[in-house]
Amino acid sequence: MRNISFTKSQSAPSGAVPEVELDLTPVMNMFLILVPFLVSMAVFTQVAIIEFSLPPNVGAGLDDSLGKPKLKLTVVLGNDHSKVTLGERMLDSIPSAGDRFDTDSLLARLKVRRAGADIQDEVIVAVLDPVRFKHVVNVMDVCRDAGFEKIGLSSAADEGL
Amino acid sequence: MQRHSILAGLHSRENDGVAGAFKPQLTSLVDVMTILLVFLIKSFSTEGSIVTPSDDLQLPFSTSQKPARPLCTIEITRTAVISEGEELARLDRLGPPDSMLVPPLLAWMRLQKAKCEGLAKPEVLIQCDREIPFEIVKKVMFTCSKAGFADYSLLVLTEE
Repeated sequence: MRNISFTKSQSAPSGAVPEVELDLTPVMNMFLILVPFLVSMAVFTQVAIIEFSLPPNVGAGLDDSLGKPKLKLTVVLGNDHSKVTLGERMLDSIPSAGDRFDTDSLLARLKVRRAGADIQDEVIVAVLDPVRFKHVVNVMDVCRDAGFEKIGLSSAADEGL
Repeated sequence: MQRHSILAGLHSRENDGVAGAFKPQLTSLVDVMTILLVFLIKSFSTEGSIVTPSDDLQLPFSTSQKPARPLCTIEITRTAVISEGEELARLDRLGPPDSMLVPPLLAWMRLQKAKCEGLAKPEVLIQCDREIPFEIVKKVMFTCSKAGFADYSLLVLTEE
């Protein structure tokens, strides 16, 4: 049984345990074929997409009884803080520490506000001009984590921030 | 002659036990190969990459897992707005400062819209550098909307 997997190498002295040596050459051959194949098929950076629309196309959102548009929650993103608003009314204001937005607080506030909102699957992210794009993507992630399925992206007016 | 004897030592079993026979130790090499193999199998993808990010920009990270699909693509690098390898506008000359419209991009997107005429919802895939201010993205989106595009996707790198 032992002789099957071992090379027929050294002839050991009679009575002593023979020194065995594995023949690894076939294993190395297999590796040398597998590794280039796997390198060619490897994906080292995974890309994904975030879908969004311009605000009027996020959804109709009409109040059937009055024919007026329903208000949607809006996250206004500035350089130094973010706000959650509903129409003209500011619900929450969350300051940011330097270049980092407090996404945990924003997520917690959005979950609370979403529970009481008329439209619970749509949110608008309104961004000020100087805000860097990576922060916009972060806030869109937060909105999705809070349960909003449809995201609208628009620009925000400078006043009020 | 000496080389010949070394090779003979490698391949010939009869030389075992003879002084000077060379036996390479493959164990450590097999260890390295095994680790490499496990890493490569972990990053193996049968689907490949449908959308290739541009080399000129650094995409932002996101937790989104929605797979990318080929769409009409606009790339916003740190220097220019590019589509299909053609530089449409430089960021320092995007048009009049008081205007949201980027004329060369509008002409290009109208051509793209004509190509997508059969589609129910023509969509634009925006590849944007993570450090670009939103002002630039806003102008690109506004111009695309003027060309008739209403739905957008952002290309991002998936966070582990």
